[in-house]
Amino acid sequence: MAKKSIRRNGGNEGLNITSMMDIMTIILIFLLKSYSTEDISVTPSADLVVPISSAEKAPKLAVQVVVSKSQILVDGVAVMSLGTATDPVTGAEVPSIPADEKQGQMIQKLYEKLLTKAETAKTQAQRTQREDLEFKGEILLQCDSTLPFSLIREVMYTAGQAQFSNFRFVVIKGGG
Amino acid sequence: MAIKKKRAADSQELDLIPIMNMVTILIPFLLMASSFVNLAVIDSTLPAIGAPTEADEPDTPPLNLKVLVTSEGFTIATDVAVLPSAASDGPTVPCRQSGCPGIESYDFEALTALLSTIKDEYSHEENVILVPESHIRYDIIIMTMDATREDPSQKVQYTDDQSQTSMRSKELFPYVVIAGGGQ
Repeated sequence: MAKKSIRRNGGNEGLNITSMMDIMTIILIFLLKSYSTEDISVTPSADLVVPISSAEKAPKLAVQVVVSKSQILVDGVAVMSLGTATDPVTGAEVPSIPADEKQGQMIQKLYEKLLTKAETAKTQAQRTQREDLEFKGEILLQCDSTLPFSLIREVMYTAGQAQFSNFRFVVIKGGG
Repeated sequence: MAIKKKRAADSQELDLIPIMNMVTILIPFLLMASSFVNLAVIDSTLPAIGAPTEADEPDTPPLNLKVLVTSEGFTIATDVAVLPSAASDGPTVPCRQSGCPGIESYDFEALTALLSTIKDEYSHEENVILVPESHIRYDIIIMTMDATREDPSQKVQYTDDQSQTSMRSKELFPYVVIAGGGQ
């Protein structure tokens, strides 16, 4: 009797992975559902906290400018780093463009970079003759939520000078 | 014959190991690529640079509604007048605490309510010009844009392209222009 039962157990020794397969399938389907097909992505960090908004408009691909607390990036490439300055009204230390990097309100390095981006986009549109590649001066701005308006104004002004005049402020969907 | 068949079924178990391999590779990959943050954008344009077009002269002059964001609160103004505050001679919508120490001291609800009444008066207007002061934080500007875009307390029936009606928040001034503002 004992011998028989041992043999029976021994014959059935393979690990039962059916339940594990169930879990895996469910996780797989969930992840496939939440798979992001969005054109843009935000890498949140301590330096870049994108504000939350009730806006619903979906983002479209455009030149991306990231203004974090410490640096400015264009399409993922660091263009320049930021310094700090004391705000004359609140007295707090806020990020700002170093004085030798700008002329008036124009940020030189950012301007040069954006101008090349605009020229590239225009040549591309001209060569391909495709309407969806036409240069519309769209720019995606990802800014940290604690930045003062003076800095954002300088970035916007520089972008405007480099023929980017349609701003899209990237926000996290949520509030409201 | 029947017994033979049963034995064959017993010994032939489905080999799930290759599937398991594939799934274990797919899960980390999808975990990396999936985003749990939903992004949106707010459109804005620069104030038009260059000579204004003279061709289209509207019958009624545009309202040019401006919302000034200062460290005292919001001031609502047009080309011709500044909307006075109900209580004091300060900004139209003063902060809950004087000096606006934080983002929560700005009275966004009152701003939305006030703009809602303005929208009732000028229902064709869709533009608002934001004029923030230099030191105003970016998240306050974004929240002001939210407050001027729609009024979530009032639901209005909308009909979309497929002639389906839905209840949505009342639209106020969805087109935001950020003006340079003072230095």
